[in-house]
Amino acid sequence: MGQMIQQTIKRPLSPMRVIRISLALFLFLIFTILLSMLLGTADVTIVQLWGILTGGAEVKEMTKLIVLNIRLPRIISAGLAGFSLSLGGLVFQAILRNPLADPYILGVSSGGAFGAVLGIMLGFSFNLGIPLLSFAGAMLTIYLLLVMGQRKMGMESSTILLAGVIINAFFTAIIMFFISTAVDDRLHTMLFWLYGDLSQSAYVQFAIIAPVVVMAFIILYGLSRHLNLITAGEETALQLGVDIKRTKMICFLVVSLVIGLVVSFSGLIGFVGLIVPHLGRMVLGSDHRLLMPVSALGGAVFLVAADTVARTIISPSELPVGVITAFIGAPFFIYLLKTRGSRWTRS
Amino acid sequence: MDPVLSLKKVGFRYDGFWAIRDLDLDVKPGELLAVLGPNGSGKSTLLKVVDGILTPQEGEVLLKDRPVSGYTRSDVAKEVAMVAQETHFYFSFSALEVVLMGRFPRLGRFQFEGARDMEAASRALQATQCLDLAERSIHELSGGEKQRVLIARALAQEPTVILLDEPTSFLDLRFKKEIFDLISSLTHERGLSVVVVSHDIDLASQYCDRMVMLKDGRVYSTGVPEEVITASNIKAVYECPVIIDKNPAAGSPRVSLV
Repeated sequence: MGQMIQQTIKRPLSPMRVIRISLALFLFLIFTILLSMLLGTADVTIVQLWGILTGGAEVKEMTKLIVLNIRLPRIISAGLAGFSLSLGGLVFQAILRNPLADPYILGVSSGGAFGAVLGIMLGFSFNLGIPLLSFAGAMLTIYLLLVMGQRKMGMESSTILLAGVIINAFFTAIIMFFISTAVDDRLHTMLFWLYGDLSQSAYVQFAIIAPVVVMAFIILYGLSRHLNLITAGEETALQLGVDIKRTKMICFLVVSLVIGLVVSFSGLIGFVGLIVPHLGRMVLGSDHRLLMPVSALGGAVFLVAADTVARTIISPSELPVGVITAFIGAPFFIYLLKTRGSRWTRS
Repeated sequence: MDPVLSLKKVGFRYDGFWAIRDLDLDVKPGELLAVLGPNGSGKSTLLKVVDGILTPQEGEVLLKDRPVSGYTRSDVAKEVAMVAQETHFYFSFSALEVVLMGRFPRLGRFQFEGARDMEAASRALQATQCLDLAERSIHELSGGEKQRVLIARALAQEPTVILLDEPTSFLDLRFKKEIFDLISSLTHERGLSVVVVSHDIDLASQYCDRMVMLKDGRVYSTGVPEEVITASNIKAVYECPVIIDKNPAAGSPRVSLV
């Protein structure tokens, strides 16, 4: 007592730091988008791109069409999907307190895929019918997860994860059945969609999705400190005034809603929700007030870049973006398990 | 002095089973109180009821003369802090980040910690001699260091009462002493009230001012250690014959198994 505080401690996180890092990532995202607009089967020069964006220089109608109506919608769609999948992964990992959790592994994505494949089978359009069915499929999965995972003390993570794995297996079986019985060009459409197809993107979808994604982010950000406490011991979180049941339920529903929407227009894209949040944690620590914007924006950058590779690597043909994310994601995940897996298992 | 915390005829039932019943207990300001009792005697339930996490079906808990049921969760957390028995951190937080979590009840939804919060954290780290650990990851700390950081988090809440659920059960001898020295200084030098649940009767009787011994959810015996730690009490409560003599260093009752 009476002793002066000799050492000073630094505040770990300030609002300015969050803003600074988010802004830097946002600028990087813009840069990635511009770069992605330049790259593709048809050559577009920087001068032409500048002309298209500013309306200044004369650019051929065809080039303009390619950049604005084919590349840009696809890029925006990749950005939105990456933003949501990565944010969803981060939040699922926190509420289930499991580093493996992500929308893909929990079966939410494959539920959506089941709906979409059904839609393709029935010859529905990509503008309305398929997204609607896909959204319904994702919601069905969430309902099943909740029914199976609900315990007296609220959601129980290992049950939910296991239920997700089972649901995933079940929907995959149905999807395989559809694929096996498909004969015409619908087969190709299905297969592409299953590995994350961003080629069907259209501006009209963004009007619905973008506001939902922004709203979801704001709601989740308001719970970021709650998530910090939940990952640091539920008993203490409860003691400090976190309504754990309610927080988990809100997070679960908000993320699922967004993922349902995203899957409906982007198909199955795995690993984004695992890679990006974990990279964020490795570099910046575990505070969700910083991790949320970083994961979301980082996810957007990652998926825009991955889709650019998917569009160009075997040009003039294209790969589904899910192939690229899985190709990078699976080895990365094995690396994570090898190097820091022991910390995740309770002993 | 008026008690900070007061339990009046409290009973809590899980489904059909009464975990605690008919329980009267006062916690005075600046007192170090030990709660003893065999497994399943209701010690942990008692802490949760005191903390307002569990609502008793019978009787009432008064916190500073007001029923705890009338407080919001974060208002309770401003008065009562709990150090849980075992806390597993799923992701890596620094010790300082962990301590700042104690400020949660005092911050708004989109608010960041300010100067006032840093001051509280700094004081808490100093009181627990954890200032050097501030930047270290909670995963890298030893058991004793981690427990000290968790106590620092409780202090950062700036409570009047701290509840500890078996704070030394995973620690070796040196850390046990360290933690009890710390707890003792919090009460006797800083005027905090501390309720500690412990299986370590010798250690508790050496450090605590008063003890409550529970049996089947009821208070079997209460008073200063010399009154509570008797061969007949322990025989009745723990169903185990013992010999009681005096700790040669502290003069407190010492239990030897027969």
